[in-house]
Amino acid sequence: MIVGPLLSVAALALVAGMVGGLRRPRLWLALTLVASAALLAAAGVVLCGAAGFAGAPRAELSDVTSAQWLLGDRWEWRGEFRIGGERPHMLLDAVSALFLALLAVLGGAGAAYSHGYWSDADHPESAGAGRLWWSAMVLMMGLVLVSANGLYFLFGWELFTLAAYFLVTLGNHRRQVRAAGWLYLAASHVGTLCLFAFFVLLAERTGSWELGPFLRGHAGLAPLFWLALAGFGVKAGMFPLHVWLPSAHANAPSHVSAMLSGMALKLGIYGLVRFSGWLPLPAQAGWVVIGLGALGALFGIAFAFAQNDLKRLLAYCSVENIGVILIGLGAAVLAVTHGDAPWGRLALAGALLHVWNHGLFKALLFLGAGSVHHATGTRELSRLGGLWRKMPWTAGLFALGAVAVAGLPPLNGFVSEWLVYLGLFDAGVARGPVAWAAMPVAIVLGMAGALALASFAKAGALVFCGAPRTQRAAHAHESGAWMLGPMTALAGLCVAIGLAPALLWPVLARVAAAWNPAWAVGVEAPAPLGTLGGVHVALALLALAAAAGLWRRALNNGLRRGLTWDCGYAVPTGRMQYTGGSFAGLVAGWFAWLLQTERSLHRPRGLMPERAHRVERIPETVLERLIGPVAALVLRASSAVRRLQQGRLQSYILYLVAGLAALGLMVFLGGTP
Amino acid sequence: MLTLLDFILRLALWLVLAPLLPGLINKVKAWVAGRRGPPVLQLYYDLARLWRKSVVLSTLASPGFILAPAVAWVALVGAALLLPLGPAGTALGFRGDVLLMIYLLALARFCTVWAALETGSAFEGMGSVREVSYAVLTEAAIIAAVLSLCVNTGGLSLGAILAPSAGAGAALLAGGLFTVLLAENCRVPFDDPNTHLELTMVHEAMILDHSGPPLAAILHGASVKLMLFSVLLVQAVVPLGDLAPLAAYGALAGGVLVVVVGVGLVESLLARFAFRQVPFLLTLAFLLCLFALLVAWKGGAA
Repeated sequence: MIVGPLLSVAALALVAGMVGGLRRPRLWLALTLVASAALLAAAGVVLCGAAGFAGAPRAELSDVTSAQWLLGDRWEWRGEFRIGGERPHMLLDAVSALFLALLAVLGGAGAAYSHGYWSDADHPESAGAGRLWWSAMVLMMGLVLVSANGLYFLFGWELFTLAAYFLVTLGNHRRQVRAAGWLYLAASHVGTLCLFAFFVLLAERTGSWELGPFLRGHAGLAPLFWLALAGFGVKAGMFPLHVWLPSAHANAPSHVSAMLSGMALKLGIYGLVRFSGWLPLPAQAGWVVIGLGALGALFGIAFAFAQNDLKRLLAYCSVENIGVILIGLGAAVLAVTHGDAPWGRLALAGALLHVWNHGLFKALLFLGAGSVHHATGTRELSRLGGLWRKMPWTAGLFALGAVAVAGLPPLNGFVSEWLVYLGLFDAGVARGPVAWAAMPVAIVLGMAGALALASFAKAGALVFCGAPRTQRAAHAHESGAWMLGPMTALAGLCVAIGLAPALLWPVLARVAAAWNPAWAVGVEAPAPLGTLGGVHVALALLALAAAAGLWRRALNNGLRRGLTWDCGYAVPTGRMQYTGGSFAGLVAGWFAWLLQTERSLHRPRGLMPERAHRVERIPETVLERLIGPVAALVLRASSAVRRLQQGRLQSYILYLVAGLAALGLMVFLGGTP
Repeated sequence: MLTLLDFILRLALWLVLAPLLPGLINKVKAWVAGRRGPPVLQLYYDLARLWRKSVVLSTLASPGFILAPAVAWVALVGAALLLPLGPAGTALGFRGDVLLMIYLLALARFCTVWAALETGSAFEGMGSVREVSYAVLTEAAIIAAVLSLCVNTGGLSLGAILAPSAGAGAALLAGGLFTVLLAENCRVPFDDPNTHLELTMVHEAMILDHSGPPLAAILHGASVKLMLFSVLLVQAVVPLGDLAPLAAYGALAGGVLVVVVGVGLVESLLARFAFRQVPFLLTLAFLLCLFALLVAWKGGAA
């Protein structure tokens, strides 16, 4: 099979990029793109491969062959040698190939973007290191995805976390960046600690570090799922373990934010998908996962709506989207524990498609935010505005991404959410015990969708529409081709998935079959994806035609420019516009118990008021109100204990004497020491 | 060929009849107040006049200011075309089309809000905030209502869930969906389509700066949305599937008329609520739909 050589080419290109790219950006870019292409091809072969069945028309496949087709090919390789006492074992099946394809796309797009965004000219001190760590991160993420050995998995996991840390802190002359990097590193290692425990216990109970579907046979492994949930949940940004996510995403360079949000979070999801497929599951697993997903979807987007920092808003929105993915995964797990119900397959397909979709549109949005930051030097919504005039392409692409992330038809976000909805509705209509989870979660998903729309109407319109709120926003400039190109490619993929979702069904069906072999039934989609795609195409064409028609009509009738009406106000200024805080005010009031907004108000007083201000800050509630106090308590306890150790010999002698006296007293009183 | 004809007929029906509804509401209000009121066809005249007028564009607005109303209009008409029309059924029914309809309405909302924010006006910002914030609660109510219909009938397409009787929860559903209709179409007690105080409006505040053909598209789209919700409400509550075709058409038309008169009566007899009370009313609508869902659940189990 061709997969092995392709993966080797990719690995070699990445290693060569690490070595040779430090000083030569063009060489590095070429090597990274070659690696991306090779990874994409390898993933494509596994996802669409099926050499034996490719020629036969779908309709003629019997049930048996279609099941075989769905279970499909996978690539497996075992080394004859040992590294670190273990034989390398690599496995690329449909599940890992799905994530590998996303890695290839985002790795390539981010590399091309960084060529314009984090160039040697702008960042002479860190651009080379950025290239080195980028290649290392892509390589290690790839290693995580293909390793079927716990030791190598952990190795790749730790190294990719470290590479991501160095990428987050590329701009480390700023204090917030260092703090964000530190928080990321600390939180990641809490997660890694859980994973260490998970893999070690797994190896101890099965007798080897090998991973694979055979684990499902060991009934005693079920409780380990909770360790995996915690460990991978931290990385995935699962609510309430998302504490590291907002500041790391906001303070990292934007191509790194895109990769973190698009791919690093997805590796957490990969771990959950992988091991929920391979491990025997505790009975409560599905309920917990779907509950955490619903919680994250609603609270994540509520936090996002309240943010006034563009990239922080995008970061919290990732918490929401991870929630949507977990809802789908949780429903699938529930379906498995309730007799392989077919609606679980729909929900799982929706979750898997959402992995791709979120990766694509969130990367697009983060790159767009990077262009805005690059052009204006700020991420504050209240300092931006009116950028469409100077950055029309970025504005258009960001608007497209906003429609996609809000889950609106005819783009890709709607398709995956629709599949998740269908799974939940089917579960509700089936009236089983799962309906009690599915129906509330469907309602929560609807509310989260409405809030996502609100958040991205806010983010997009406050940044790109209206009047510039500051001079720097007024003097922005459009980004170069290296930055617009990758964004256009990502936007194109968003549109393509939205318009032709039916083409992806075989891929999703294969992944679902690899996850749960009981779902290797029939190639036909249980949801009318073809019809939906047709409707989407018709809608897109009609919308284009109507827009063109209305535009022409307006031009023909005569088009005059005038001041914004604003109820007759003669000299409107940019400062009179609605700000991010006022936009979210209404909803922030509903979620006040969660957001805990801190306000300080200094009213203008007297006839000649000197200064007045009003500051609003949305704290990181979970971090500052929950984890912060606990951490402070731990610190206080440890510093109290430390007082015992003050390095004076007399005290240590006193401790010894006191200890001996206590022992003597115990013996004297007749106790047996 | 026949399907194409069917499609064109439906499209014509929605496009031509929709602007009648606001006219009827105004007539009812005038009748209650003892005035003569504007002609029933007033909106048609307005649309024709706006279509010929020139456009004044804010100096801040991008082309999106004109393109977004067009997209919103397509989304609303598309959502309306997904609805079944009594015995004629749907033009294109498929599993999950009900979710597509809900999200097309959301797309229209996104476009309207985007166009409003293009102008950089604080008033339009205010209207947008209210629109997107109240939508959070109406969305929950609509999903609960749709779930109750799905659980009641076991189907997932608009054609399947709207044909049979809504069961025991019909009254609850009617109350919930009627409230949602008032909120989504920006009628009293959520919004006042007649007021000229920009501070207190939702929908009207968002379209302050629109003029000419784009305003015509927005107004026509709004009337299509009103008709969509009326038709949805009638079909969700009245068991049209159990009637003979002609009677069913009559019942559908009569039902829409009843809804329209109801809206007119509410507007005549109620004042607009203070904005802080609106969320409570919307929560009430959500609870009504939720109880309809519970009734549908129990109804099937019994």
